[in-house]
Amino acid sequence: MADEIRRWSDELAREPASLVFLQLSEALRRQGQLEIALKIALRGLERHPRHAEAHDLVARIAVDRRDFERACDEWETVLRIAPDHVGAMKGLGYVCFQQGRFEEAERYLTGAAAGGGGSAVHAALQTVRRSSTGAVMPGHDAIPAVDPPWLFADLLVDEGQTALLLDVNGFVMAGVYQDHDGNDLAQEIGAQLSGISDEVLRATKRLDIGEWRSIVFETHAAVVAMAPGADESLVVVAASRATPLGLLRRLLDRCAERAGLWLARQGSR
Amino acid sequence: MITPYTALLESLSRQRGVRASLIVSEGDGLVVDANLRFGQDGDPVAALAASLYRKARLSARAARLGAVGFLQLDAERGRICAVGGRNDLVIVVVAESTANVGLIRVELLKALESLE
Repeated sequence: MADEIRRWSDELAREPASLVFLQLSEALRRQGQLEIALKIALRGLERHPRHAEAHDLVARIAVDRRDFERACDEWETVLRIAPDHVGAMKGLGYVCFQQGRFEEAERYLTGAAAGGGGSAVHAALQTVRRSSTGAVMPGHDAIPAVDPPWLFADLLVDEGQTALLLDVNGFVMAGVYQDHDGNDLAQEIGAQLSGISDEVLRATKRLDIGEWRSIVFETHAAVVAMAPGADESLVVVAASRATPLGLLRRLLDRCAERAGLWLARQGSR
Repeated sequence: MITPYTALLESLSRQRGVRASLIVSEGDGLVVDANLRFGQDGDPVAALAASLYRKARLSARAARLGAVGFLQLDAERGRICAVGGRNDLVIVVVAESTANVGLIRVELLKALESLE
């Protein structure tokens, strides 16, 4: 990736009007270098103000920076330029959901689903529909009032991402894991991972390497990451093989934070 | 004692931040060969790495994700990295938490190729 970033930077320096800024900025965004990614994207936008993908990119960087207002503005611009842009509809659906504007979220996500947004959009749409009948979440980081299977749905914005919360015995407390045919494999996965927290805890103690923070493993089709949660629970996140590890860790952190809040709320009831 | 794995393990242990390298049997968690510092006990590392790798493999199978490659456990003061192949053997490295994982991953995958 470092080589590609260097190559794209050189290309952009040679030809400032090149559209390579889209790839360069996206790569930097994925690496978490948000400020420089934004700078490059905005410079590109100055030269290509009617380029829908450039506005979409700025919106995604804005979401990563938790600047939801900017993200909305950019995605609305995208839809003025390209009314069928699935990414913008997904993005607006996500932001509206985060802000508790469920009707708008549903409208955008329905549009994205009709445009071929994939299973992640359908899952998000279900989350929104369930949320709209329950309590509205008050802030960006609050827990959506959804059924446990959909606890992480709004955090899983890319295709192929999935998350589970398992208890100490490997039973699924929240999240869902569906294969391409729609079969729920969560219980089966949980059963295979049962006892892992306890085992790692004992071993790391004996090896004197401190508390464990995460386990990550790569497979042919995906990257899987897990982290210990409250009450000896386990948060498991999977994403496509193309997902950079840094991005996966951020997703794992967000899901672990969500799981912690949710468990705390369950405990307080 | 020189074994068929001595050179491979020495090469892994030469990486900056690596404390120990081992080849373990995934099936029973026993050490097949190891390059350890004086006084280090390889048995708990072997048992943990084998068990983790087995659980990763079985959960990946349950999730229809295919074979497991590189695995990494991060703890406060250290990390354990492992790769396994088609046979029962898993190559394991114990490293400092500050060690360069990218480099260790490359070396482990290279070692796995030579093992197969």
